[in-house]
Amino acid sequence: MATTGSVSKTFAQAQDAPLSERDLDWAVVQRVQAGNVGAFDQLVQKYREHIFSVVYNMTSNREDASDLTQETFIKAFQAIGRFKGKSSFFTWIYRIAINTTMTFLKKRSRRRYISYENINEEVSTTEIFESLTAKTRTEKGALVQELQEKLNDSLQKLSPKHRTVVVLHEIEGLGHAEIAEITKTSVGTVRSRLHYAKQQLQSYLKDYLA
Amino acid sequence: MSKLPEERPADINLEDLLRLKRSERPSEAFWNDFDRDLHQRMLQTLVKKDPWYIQLMRGFSGRIGQSVAVAAAAAVVAMVVVRPAFQPVAAPESFAAAPAPVVEVTPAPAVEIVSAPVEVAVAQLSLAEIADLNSAADYHADIISVDGAANDVNFVRDFGLESMQVASYEASAYSVDTANARVSFASTGVASLVY
Repeated sequence: MATTGSVSKTFAQAQDAPLSERDLDWAVVQRVQAGNVGAFDQLVQKYREHIFSVVYNMTSNREDASDLTQETFIKAFQAIGRFKGKSSFFTWIYRIAINTTMTFLKKRSRRRYISYENINEEVSTTEIFESLTAKTRTEKGALVQELQEKLNDSLQKLSPKHRTVVVLHEIEGLGHAEIAEITKTSVGTVRSRLHYAKQQLQSYLKDYLA
Repeated sequence: MSKLPEERPADINLEDLLRLKRSERPSEAFWNDFDRDLHQRMLQTLVKKDPWYIQLMRGFSGRIGQSVAVAAAAAVVAMVVVRPAFQPVAAPESFAAAPAPVVEVTPAPAVEIVSAPVEVAVAQLSLAEIADLNSAADYHADIISVDGAANDVNFVRDFGLESMQVASYEASAYSVDTANARVSFASTGVASLVY
């Protein structure tokens, strides 16, 4: 199973050999367009965790994220006949996910509730976990939960547009140009939003940062 | 209260903190449920027929819609550009009651020609008045009698000549044409008979 950390690896490969990654997806898309509905499952398996991660970090709700991720793939499936391959499939599906989530966030005027995923300590390589390993299991669990809540609270304080850029760049590991293509903005706008969002997060999380 | 702020790890920056969120991952069981639900929804999508308005919108976004849009645009252009050429020209009052032709491409000369007899002063003269006119004017009015003209063919007039119209032109340029009912259809002059 692909890990979230493989997101950056996937897109790093896409950057190194964008044509091959893109062509692979395009070949699958053409099979689906030709009537091989089962081939769409390959695209689902490849991108479901990436899409879920984006939506989950945008909504901070695992149930909503699950529904919206499914909705994203349903929309993509319905519209795949009109996909002409002018952009890469991952750009296209990310754009659908972002637009679907933005529409959902506009309808959801107030945050209903937050439900987090459990942090998978095995895959975490951050220094925070390395430092937390010195603590006892009970202390570590409480600290991780608090840190998780604080992080999600801080992200939710950002506007959806700023949150999108932070999630795509800092968590998903996408480049500025890719984010600009997905959000249909300029690279300058992406950089500007990222700079502002990180300033905001710095102030929200100052107690937890060195 | 957490101990984290007091005992926060050294050299932790925002990027590290955000990268922690990559560890928030669903379990394998979650993905099993996800795949099952997604397949069901996709199946429903394949089976379910879209509402009529969705199909209509889809049609308008497709080639049919594009063709309809082009045809509509052409119709609008035709209405704007071509229609003024078919605007009916206002007819004179004397023809207002008559059924106006739909296409009258050259109305101006036609109106002039048709209205010419109207504009010309017309007098209804009796035969005696014409005789007086010949004696007083510097022109001569020939009266073509149907009785005289029909002698050779044994024609007997069975109607009375009540009056005739004579157009008055410049004295030096015109002559009065008179005709009776027998020859009126062949006359090319402006005079006409009224019975």
